[in-house]
Amino acid sequence: MSRFLFPEWTQPLKKYVITPALLIGPVYVVIMAALIKDPQTLRVGYMPEQPVPYSHALHAGEMGLDCRYCHNVVEVSPKAAVPPAATCMNCHQTVHPKSENLLPVRQAFFENEPLRWVRVHDLPDYVYFNHSAHVTRGVGCESCHGRVDRMVRVWQSQSLTMQWCLDCHRNPEPNLREPANVTQMGYKPAPGEGAKVKARLKINPPTDCSTCHR
Amino acid sequence: MSSLDHGYWKSIAELESDLPSGETEFATSGLAEADDSVDPLNRRNFAKLMGASLALAGVAGAGCKRYEREGIVPLGRRPEDQVPGTNQAYATSFELGGHGQALVVTSFEGRPIKVDGNPEHPFAGGGVVAGTKRHGASTAFAQGSILHLYDPDRSQSVNHSGKGASFSDWKAWLGELRKQANFNRVRVLSEATSSPTVAALRRRLNSEMPGLIWHEWEPISWDNERAGMVQAFGKVVRPLAKLDQAETIVSLDCDFFVDHPASLRYSRDFARSRNPETSTLGRGRMNRLYVVESVYSSAGVLCDHRLPVRSEHVQAVAQQLEHLLVGTPASQAEVVKEAKVARVLEALAREVKANTGRVVFLAGRKQPPAVHALAARLNQTFGGVTVEYREDPNPTRPTHAEAIATLTREIEQQQVETLFILGGNPVYDAPADLDFATKLGTVKNTVHLSEYNNETSARCTWHVPRAHYLESWGDSLTWDGTLTLQQPLIAPMYGGISIIELCAMLLGDETPADQLVARTLAESGAGGSWRQAVHDGFVDKTQLAPQAVQATGGGGGLAAATGGSDVNNGQLEVTFVASSATYDGRFANNAWLQETPDFLTKVVWDNVALISPDTADKLGVRSQDVVRIKLGDRQLDIAALVMPGQARGSIGVVLGGGRTKAGSVGNKQREWVGGGFDAYKLRASAALDIATGATVTKTGGRYKIVTTQDHHDIRHGFSLSDTVGDKEYQKKVPDLVREVDRQDFADASYKAEKQHPWYHDHHHGRGASLYKEHVYEGRKWAMAIDLGNCMGCNACVVACQSENNIPVVGKREVNRNREMSWLRIDRYFKGDLNDPDVVGQPVACQHCENAPCEAVCPVGATLHSSEGLNDMVYNRCVGTRYCLNNCPYRVRRFNFFDYHKEFQDARNNVRKLLFNPDVTVRERGVMEKCTYCVQRIQGAKIKAKNAGERGPLPDGTITTACQAACPTEAIVFGDLSDPESRVSKLHGDRRQYELLGEFNDKPRTRFLARVRNPNPELVSQSQPAHH
Repeated sequence: MSRFLFPEWTQPLKKYVITPALLIGPVYVVIMAALIKDPQTLRVGYMPEQPVPYSHALHAGEMGLDCRYCHNVVEVSPKAAVPPAATCMNCHQTVHPKSENLLPVRQAFFENEPLRWVRVHDLPDYVYFNHSAHVTRGVGCESCHGRVDRMVRVWQSQSLTMQWCLDCHRNPEPNLREPANVTQMGYKPAPGEGAKVKARLKINPPTDCSTCHR
Repeated sequence: MSSLDHGYWKSIAELESDLPSGETEFATSGLAEADDSVDPLNRRNFAKLMGASLALAGVAGAGCKRYEREGIVPLGRRPEDQVPGTNQAYATSFELGGHGQALVVTSFEGRPIKVDGNPEHPFAGGGVVAGTKRHGASTAFAQGSILHLYDPDRSQSVNHSGKGASFSDWKAWLGELRKQANFNRVRVLSEATSSPTVAALRRRLNSEMPGLIWHEWEPISWDNERAGMVQAFGKVVRPLAKLDQAETIVSLDCDFFVDHPASLRYSRDFARSRNPETSTLGRGRMNRLYVVESVYSSAGVLCDHRLPVRSEHVQAVAQQLEHLLVGTPASQAEVVKEAKVARVLEALAREVKANTGRVVFLAGRKQPPAVHALAARLNQTFGGVTVEYREDPNPTRPTHAEAIATLTREIEQQQVETLFILGGNPVYDAPADLDFATKLGTVKNTVHLSEYNNETSARCTWHVPRAHYLESWGDSLTWDGTLTLQQPLIAPMYGGISIIELCAMLLGDETPADQLVARTLAESGAGGSWRQAVHDGFVDKTQLAPQAVQATGGGGGLAAATGGSDVNNGQLEVTFVASSATYDGRFANNAWLQETPDFLTKVVWDNVALISPDTADKLGVRSQDVVRIKLGDRQLDIAALVMPGQARGSIGVVLGGGRTKAGSVGNKQREWVGGGFDAYKLRASAALDIATGATVTKTGGRYKIVTTQDHHDIRHGFSLSDTVGDKEYQKKVPDLVREVDRQDFADASYKAEKQHPWYHDHHHGRGASLYKEHVYEGRKWAMAIDLGNCMGCNACVVACQSENNIPVVGKREVNRNREMSWLRIDRYFKGDLNDPDVVGQPVACQHCENAPCEAVCPVGATLHSSEGLNDMVYNRCVGTRYCLNNCPYRVRRFNFFDYHKEFQDARNNVRKLLFNPDVTVRERGVMEKCTYCVQRIQGAKIKAKNAGERGPLPDGTITTACQAACPTEAIVFGDLSDPESRVSKLHGDRRQYELLGEFNDKPRTRFLARVRNPNPELVSQSQPAHH
């Protein structure tokens, strides 16, 4: 049988398409892979501007408010829930009652014009994360949200990828502490504290898909 | 036909062996379809798509964010008891046809998202098995009713003469009306309601506005029973049957499982006396149900003996039965001489006499009063504890038919200047001979209070938007009279008002509705606090008082029917059947209900005329022919469906279709979109339920009827050999839906598992698997479905759709087997084409331990959890559909299009509020299936763990949506690791078996074989014995 020869018109293909593709292709793939894993893509460091310059560093850090004073449903609800303006007004009816910065808060409280905060820690819609399951079992707020008591404006400090979640689910001990101390910032767990809590509370984090994906 | 030898068949087409296997009479061949798909990839979209992907490909890193920017918008002031992210449940109620149903509605962050029954309500609460907790059953209509709250087609403003107006305009007009001196030209036409508050307001209206007359009209009504009670006892009383005390139940055209105001209670009671292991009649005993009916109904499905006779002949049959029992004159009709009828009646008479004191006769709403009177007389003699009578809350009310006829007459005589129509849709559903629509146009001022700007509103001068029941305060009575409260879960979204508020406005009373309802409660003397009543949703001990009755001795009154089953064209009867989708047409715009296939006909999106195979042959009519039905001087063109089991000579016309102003979903549209036919055109006051003398002729037209009867056919799934044909499929059906006679079941060695030949085959030992099998420690979720209890009400199907954000695909896509409901109820016929038995089987994902679907997913989108659930991970699914291909049960559903796309429109945005936030809303391209309500499982687990509880959750903590909705508790869900849980006990029951267990896929859902209880005298000798 006769030998197969590529027709003439495929020659330019070889020169201008196939060779460049074979050279640039792998480079492109590597760059894309790197960029996908780049924390910047993953929004670590994402620090959006908020309608009200609320400073956690001032309130939670300097003044020592417990996280749960405002995020009060975190132990029973899947959401930590940004507090209603009423919570702010608990103090701010008398503290800086006429401040310009707090005008949106007063509008939300008195005129029902809601405050539109920008979400910092955002998971995809198909992920169902439950705060209460973690907070009541000894996972500290700072384990996932970082040192919020030092953030003048909240920024995302962890990648919040599924791999990152699984790392803890597969090995929770380093991130566990006594449930009474979950809101303490800068907490250094005692040696073996994580293991003790894990044993006492019988913590066995599931890695089934339906744990988070419904 | 030899294919009947093996008994079961799924549709008529199967029996016609010249059709190639897999194709059915409803295949799309031959009928042209317009080529317009839901998601066109036209040039513009294509360019957008390409542009987007190019952008993504090139521009990584330059500020490319992962997800879109989301906001968090908290309330200004959070209500005290509201915890964001969690659900609250409130008790309320809903009225259908003037009778209340007690509900518990789940609300998420201030909006109601799911309806369930109220498990504590004294009327239908309490478990089927003694000592167990009830999970609050509901009807399919209650489950679907929440869709109307968020319907974008709902009326959002007042209308005056077709133009928008404001509420204050209307109130000003009302103020002017109130100033007039006398009100004897004012009329009110209200839909039926049992609300004591409305009754109180009505009394006040009658006293403060003398001359005002209030009429009540409801197209589907139980007035025949009221008249029958008067015939039998001389006064209006309300019968309440106690089916859990009855050994023999005789239903005379009464579908008490679905088509009765007390259906939830009757379903529960029937199940109580049905299950041989736990029967209230004693262990090992079962009730026996005889049904005489024309249209195949749920009662016909679960019965032990069925007589398909024309509805007009039910009275002849009843008369003959009375003759056999007490010696009154025999019926002269030919129908009672037919072989099967005579034989069954004789055996039944003997049985009734033997079981005196524990027999109950139920007559259906279509039957004339004489039949109800007859049933009442027989109940007096042969019943005992099985039926009691209660006082009627409104004994002096004229019948609905009389009321609307009177009103029409008054309008003709120009006695009416102002007419208020409260709810309802009389222009659409009033008797055709009254010509109400035209008459309405002659009234000077008409006001229609309605949720939709419908056919009646279009002809009224004023249209006022009505508040949905979830937006209003109110009350109602369940069939036994328990006062059931209704509280709003959301403020009226469009400023609508309720009937109570309108009546108060008419009276000039500024009292808010909740205070009016509280006042009624206080005045009823029932005691108890208002807060407690609102919390519970009902006030106990408010039942209607029992009434002693005495038969007045009047006999007869029965028409001298003479005919037999064979009739000629021109003598056919027409019966009007409530639609399982739209009821009387009011739910036409409810996409969930429209797409849920009617259990017996499996029709979606249309209403049809049901004809028996024999009669269809005689008339030369095939399914999907458009036939003209003529009754006197009225006629209707409607699509015909040949339905096995329909009585010969009887045409069952389903009501509730052909609407013109229901909304964008419910209107009658072109053939491939559906909408049905307006059967009310045939319905005249003289014959609202049963009409005789009908003629049926073919018009020559054809109409596409879409049914799901042959979709997802399990039997096609498991044969690998091409040489196996339909006959082999039919042989398999007894393995899929196992049934056993009570006599055989009484034998202690009976086990449903043994019914499969595989069980005896020693060569195929159980458990042989190539893979190392997983050992489950900890929780093991499982389900058991009792086939003996499923009567096909479809509540589970609609509940699942509501809970899991399941989309609706429309008639054309359903035709392509693309319906999305996760739960389907397979219906199999058995026996003679014209008189078959039916058995139903709800099938959803079986959560197999060795799931065939998991093995073939290329991307790992479906995996098994450590608790035995088959998890579906939507974000990994790429749409290979191999899992659907491999599933032998055919329970997976694929999103071929983005079925939620229309909700992005600004106009339809409100519909998004109904989504259950705990369940992902799936987009195009992903597979979905039943998850055993994993969101409820996770929620319960987390809640328990937060409280520090470990170990198995108490049985009954988690109920799946389908389980919660089922009125007979046919579906039981629970944890197998708890040996005391109900599901564990059912998995060890003698009746349990696995569906297609021979595949060794170890499904976690087991079925319980249905136990039939035929009268031993009537069991034919030629039936093959079960082994």
